[in-house]
Amino acid sequence: MSFGKLEGMDTDRRNNVTVTGNPQGRTVVLAHGFGCDQNMWRLTVPALAEKYRVVLFDYVGAGRSDLSAFSEERYSSLDGYARDVVEVCEALDLSDAVFVGHSVSAMIGVLAADLAPERIGALVMIAPSPRYIDDEDYRGGFSAPDIDELLTSLESNYLGWSAVMAPVIMGNAERPALGEELKNSFCATDPDMARVFARTTFLSDSRDDLKSVRVPTLVLDCTRDAIAPPEVGAFVHRAIPGSTLITLDATGHCPHLSAPEATNAAITGFLAGLL
Amino acid sequence: MCRTGRQPDPADADNGKTSDAAFAELLEDSAEDLYESAPCGYLSMLMDGTIAKINTTLLDWLGLEREAVVGRMRFTDLLTVGGRLYHETHFEPLLRMQGRIGGIALEMKQADGARMPVLVSSVVKYGGGGEPLMIRTTVFDARDRRAYEEELLRGRKAAEEARKQAEADRARLQEALAVLQQSLLPATLPPVPGVETAAHYCTASPDRLGGDFYDVFPVDGKRFAFFLGDVCGKGPQAAAVTSLTRYTLRAAALHDSDPVAALSTLNKVLHERYAAGGDPRYCTAVFGVLEPDPATGLVAVRLASGGHPPVLVLRAEGTADFLPTPGGLLVGVLPDARFVAATTVLAPGDTLLLYTDGLTEARTGEDRGSLYGDEALRAFAAQHAGRSPRAVVQALTVLLEEFGDGLDDDTALLALGVPAPAPRPDSHPDTDPDPATKSTR
Amino acid sequence: MSPLKITTRDTATGPVLAVLGDLDYANAGELRELLTTLTLQPGQRLVLDLAGMDFCDSSGITALIAAHHHAQAAHADIALAAVPANTLRILRIVGLDQIFPLHPDSETAARGTRPSR
Repeated sequence: MSFGKLEGMDTDRRNNVTVTGNPQGRTVVLAHGFGCDQNMWRLTVPALAEKYRVVLFDYVGAGRSDLSAFSEERYSSLDGYARDVVEVCEALDLSDAVFVGHSVSAMIGVLAADLAPERIGALVMIAPSPRYIDDEDYRGGFSAPDIDELLTSLESNYLGWSAVMAPVIMGNAERPALGEELKNSFCATDPDMARVFARTTFLSDSRDDLKSVRVPTLVLDCTRDAIAPPEVGAFVHRAIPGSTLITLDATGHCPHLSAPEATNAAITGFLAGLL
Repeated sequence: MCRTGRQPDPADADNGKTSDAAFAELLEDSAEDLYESAPCGYLSMLMDGTIAKINTTLLDWLGLEREAVVGRMRFTDLLTVGGRLYHETHFEPLLRMQGRIGGIALEMKQADGARMPVLVSSVVKYGGGGEPLMIRTTVFDARDRRAYEEELLRGRKAAEEARKQAEADRARLQEALAVLQQSLLPATLPPVPGVETAAHYCTASPDRLGGDFYDVFPVDGKRFAFFLGDVCGKGPQAAAVTSLTRYTLRAAALHDSDPVAALSTLNKVLHERYAAGGDPRYCTAVFGVLEPDPATGLVAVRLASGGHPPVLVLRAEGTADFLPTPGGLLVGVLPDARFVAATTVLAPGDTLLLYTDGLTEARTGEDRGSLYGDEALRAFAAQHAGRSPRAVVQALTVLLEEFGDGLDDDTALLALGVPAPAPRPDSHPDTDPDPATKSTR
Repeated sequence: MSPLKITTRDTATGPVLAVLGDLDYANAGELRELLTTLTLQPGQRLVLDLAGMDFCDSSGITALIAAHHHAQAAHADIALAAVPANTLRILRIVGLDQIFPLHPDSETAARGTRPSR
């Protein structure tokens, strides 16, 4: 297994692209969700690396992406993030890759597959939600005031990922009180850019986009998810013709972290079936 | 009173256990009461987050009934949306991975709709086989802390805005200074028949108005006056002197273009304006008059200096020499000052170079310990003698750039030359930064 | 960069100000302020001893001229002693060597014999 950071191309630097795994295998692109970065896949990568070529990246504003590339205009719609995905695929000249997206990234994958159908040949949607806010008969799991509160609390910089406030207030981006583990793992997210991403994520309504999906799709959700309730997974499954739904008996919005074995088994099973 | 609990207390012959129980009884405290009424919230939950036990303190904070919570709610149900999101993406995965997580800032929902900032710590309790059994959580009231943080944030925001305002003010000021500086210099030099002119102004600091000045202007049908100088000091006061100097010299030249007369007029004006007020201000200046002779192509130069470094004359044949004007006094120091005149004639290919001492006083060398100096300038000028005034000024501009931070002071350059009739057959082997000149060789 | 220090001593012919350090844009004002507090009697001689002066820029020159004017207003003399070579060069360029009597040291300057110009 070879680990290597690609150098020289702008997209690779901008999105901190990492390529690992089996160079001969089919390419699997792992895309993190809101408030996270590519490190959240660390329990997933080992399960894929032997058979598949694995591509990891950070959206602009997250992880070790090039923060100077951030544009509020571009990233105020999910299309902007989908263009990031397509550009990462183009930079690596991928074709027929499998796109694994967590949370909002599942929907970004749908948009990217529509933009560049030759690049993306299958989708794995982990804890997806095409719309977070309840709407008539649709249950997204949040009320409009919930989301308003979320965005307001992000505005005032109080949310959990700003967790221990003092260092943040003092302008210290590191959060030593959270320990090395957290610092190195999940939430290296620029607060200003996170606000834009949050607004884009939680106000989006991509339900109509699900119809455009033409590729084999696995929908993976959890029985107890405080962000995307099981009804949402079922909705996504119904909206994408021919999709497979696997509901994991797991707690949390991040089954690839809270129930890695079951999640990996579901993904590898789906990948094996693609050939 | 200080008890270590190890040494037998002479006043208490019984063993330590009896003593602890006696103290607990004395305090009427119990583990159960401590749990329920502790100054922090306690929660126990199943691994799926279902709340199995909660203490009274936390129930009171949240305004919830025990029956509505135990077995019915999960921990995330107590959190705001943001807290829930953070819990799902960070808190829970880290807790699983590490078995513990501490000091995380979250917000809980109170029954009346209010939000309560808290600090949450959790540990996983494991069974004998290492399997996770339950999660134990403490919740601390962070309302005071949040209020304090809000103050800090407000303070930081105010400081940030003040900084932005200061930056904007500074940018505006610099722009105003640049405009003012420009107003002290001619936008373009007028065409002088039979003479090529070139000038350059190099500012050492964008924050400070420089005091160097120059100008070229017609005095009558056939003669042109020029001057270049340096007002002592910097900033707005110096700029005011510069402005006064420039217009005084222009007016004086129209009245009497003799260089000594023009400088004498300026001397009187500056001395009367400033010396009486106890704030003496003066300048150094070279003032001169060019008289081209269309018949011969020669240009007669008559100039005078008041305390200014001598001008250089670059000859077509490749030499450069100072035109001495010794003894000319700073302009504006004494009511009656002496100025010294000199004359020369420029033939085709000759150039007169005027400069301010920012150039010769530039600090050079590794440690910036030595001054560039007159002789180095003369040698440099000799290398470029025979070239057009524009090429000479351009070469000096490159030199000034090379001085970098060794250039402490503003520098003004003015070159006046008679164009060579034809390209010179010989050429200088030195590097020529002016492609226009190069192409004529 | 060295800070400016000015010491004053009185001699039979008048005060001697010894200038130590840099006389420049940043601190030439100190000399000018000191001058305003310095009382000179008609016929006295003010001596500026520059032996310890490390650096003098145009602001320093301005302060020297202010000292000249101050002495003149009090109908007193002024003299410079031990002018460093670099400053002497500048004084010559700007013609001030003609209005300041220059002496090799403060003793000679205070003795009252006018040097040849």
